[in-house]
Amino acid sequence: MPSENAAGFVPDRRLHRLSWLFVAIGYLKQFLFAIAGVVFLGAQNDYALWALLGVIPLLASAAWQQWIYRYGFGPRGLVIHEGLFFRNVRNIDYQRVENIDTERHVLHRLFGVAEVRIETSSGGSSEAVIRVLSLQAVREMRDRIFAEQQGGEPVVPAESAPEPAAETVLLRLRAGELVRYGLIDNRGMIIVAAIIGLFAEVGRQEAIERYVQPVIDRFPLADFAAVGATIQVLLVVSAIAGLVAGTRILSVLLALVTLHDFRLSQSNDDLRVRYGLLTRISLTLRRPRIQAVHQTESLLHRLFRRVSLRVDLAGGATLNDQQHNGQPSRERKLWLAPVCTKDKAAELVRSALPQVSLEGLDWQRLSPRARWRLFRLLAALWLLLAAPPAFWLLGVFALAVVLPVLPLLWLYAHLYVKCTGWALHDDFLVLRRGWLTRRQSVVPRNRIQSVRVTESPFDRRYRMAGLDVDTAGASTARMRIPFLDHDTARSLAAALYALPAR
Amino acid sequence: MTAKPVDRGIVSVWRWNAMLGGFVPLVAAGVPLFTARIPLAAAVIAEATLLAAILAWIAWYPAARYRHLAWRLEPGGIFIRDGVFFRHESFVARTRIQHTDVSQGPLQRHYGVAELKLYTAGSRFTKIELPGLAHGDALALRDELQREGSDDAV
Repeated sequence: MPSENAAGFVPDRRLHRLSWLFVAIGYLKQFLFAIAGVVFLGAQNDYALWALLGVIPLLASAAWQQWIYRYGFGPRGLVIHEGLFFRNVRNIDYQRVENIDTERHVLHRLFGVAEVRIETSSGGSSEAVIRVLSLQAVREMRDRIFAEQQGGEPVVPAESAPEPAAETVLLRLRAGELVRYGLIDNRGMIIVAAIIGLFAEVGRQEAIERYVQPVIDRFPLADFAAVGATIQVLLVVSAIAGLVAGTRILSVLLALVTLHDFRLSQSNDDLRVRYGLLTRISLTLRRPRIQAVHQTESLLHRLFRRVSLRVDLAGGATLNDQQHNGQPSRERKLWLAPVCTKDKAAELVRSALPQVSLEGLDWQRLSPRARWRLFRLLAALWLLLAAPPAFWLLGVFALAVVLPVLPLLWLYAHLYVKCTGWALHDDFLVLRRGWLTRRQSVVPRNRIQSVRVTESPFDRRYRMAGLDVDTAGASTARMRIPFLDHDTARSLAAALYALPAR
Repeated sequence: MTAKPVDRGIVSVWRWNAMLGGFVPLVAAGVPLFTARIPLAAAVIAEATLLAAILAWIAWYPAARYRHLAWRLEPGGIFIRDGVFFRHESFVARTRIQHTDVSQGPLQRHYGVAELKLYTAGSRFTKIELPGLAHGDALALRDELQREGSDDAV
């Protein structure tokens, strides 16, 4: 590596000339709810116009930022000059760059530009968000940074940047699959919740009076009271069914839009994910950074004979050191496949983690006492919660309601224990848990950061322990096996943390 | 290999901490008890019961935690056992330790103990703590753990 003085380097590349527009939009997004409120409710008021005047300084500052912003490829890393009043020079070492992701909304695509996020392993938020670059500039940036990482090739001029390596498509989702995903995922509920949230934000009273009240007024409540009880029940049931069907349809539409033309492809050591109709997202999953692969199979997944597959990336979203209860900073799920068949999933796991093969594993069960313990726990909860109200309402007949549930709980405990287990291979660990929603996680052993065996007072009573596996890729899915025999948990922990020879 | 206990001094540190912490509920409960219109005897009995419970806690809990807290240096890394009701055992490989802290509060300085904190690049357990080492031992253990550099970080 040339050890030139990076301080002497002056970056000369500039943002796309329409950057100001996107920066301004970024500002406006923060006031989205306020603006929506103004548009919906206060458009006839005079102060709405004054509020719009406030946009002018935003535009001015956005233009100024674009004017000042410079970036360039220094000898050791990416150099960025930015800042409105307080100038900031940021150096991002080439070696530390993990991902260069792009995000393109409708407007970005109209002008052929992209918002670029540079991710490093430091975790938390992106190291730099560059708003916005032309696609040409993005390609140049990718090629330059990744070429530098390959061992400091001589810096080539931008015009003769090497062609990107050939890509092989591993997975493409067509409309049929996306419809399945929409039906499984049911994200429509979230939209309904968001609409309710919007109403709350812009002022309940006015919004409800304006949009909801007329609907309720038109509803023939008097007629409803007049019809017989059977019809009433039918009406309520069909209304609920309509709501369920409506949210499902919404979910399907949402899936068709957000995951439109989902492609997973591979070039060299990178996996690329691209999706979205309006907002086109392009993510690079660098294989050496993949910490774990999770497969989810809910009841609905099984109905459609599909599974979901996602990965954890190092530094993608870690919890803050200082606040352990912090939220993962990025909510976007890193899909390998939002939906795919089980066979395809096994294939994709292999392409994400080449050392993994899920066949012929020696599956280990939970403690032999786990089923009994789980049943006792469920039964105790059920009796505690359900028995008092049942006896109060039904008297002796409550027994007929409370007792038949117990065999079902036993069945659940049996199935849960049957579907939960682990398998240890020389190179990786596989965890499987749950019966209703089945989750399977694959962790390469050389990605494990630390292992923890936990024992609650109940665990000690049954001579059991739980095992937690921690990797650098924070995920919402905690990699934990409960109800292990306590000796088994300890020997597994010892085996996991003694790293295999690399 | 058996796990080693930490320095006995930590029990005193924890007892002082528990005393300071126990003072708060005592006052918080005392103010309404003695100002409310209930017989004075009842207020005294309630306050005395609370005081007894806190004293019992101070006498028992720090010692119990000390009895269970232990660590063991292994060729590959370190093993730490902690907790009274909810117990946990952490296994951290030497190569996974990103950086370490040895920290001492005023009480800990007085009793000559220190807390060793190990940071990993993990996500759920980024900080693994071993309290109660004698200060010299903590420094020695830190150096021992860092001796082989953490080149393979993530």
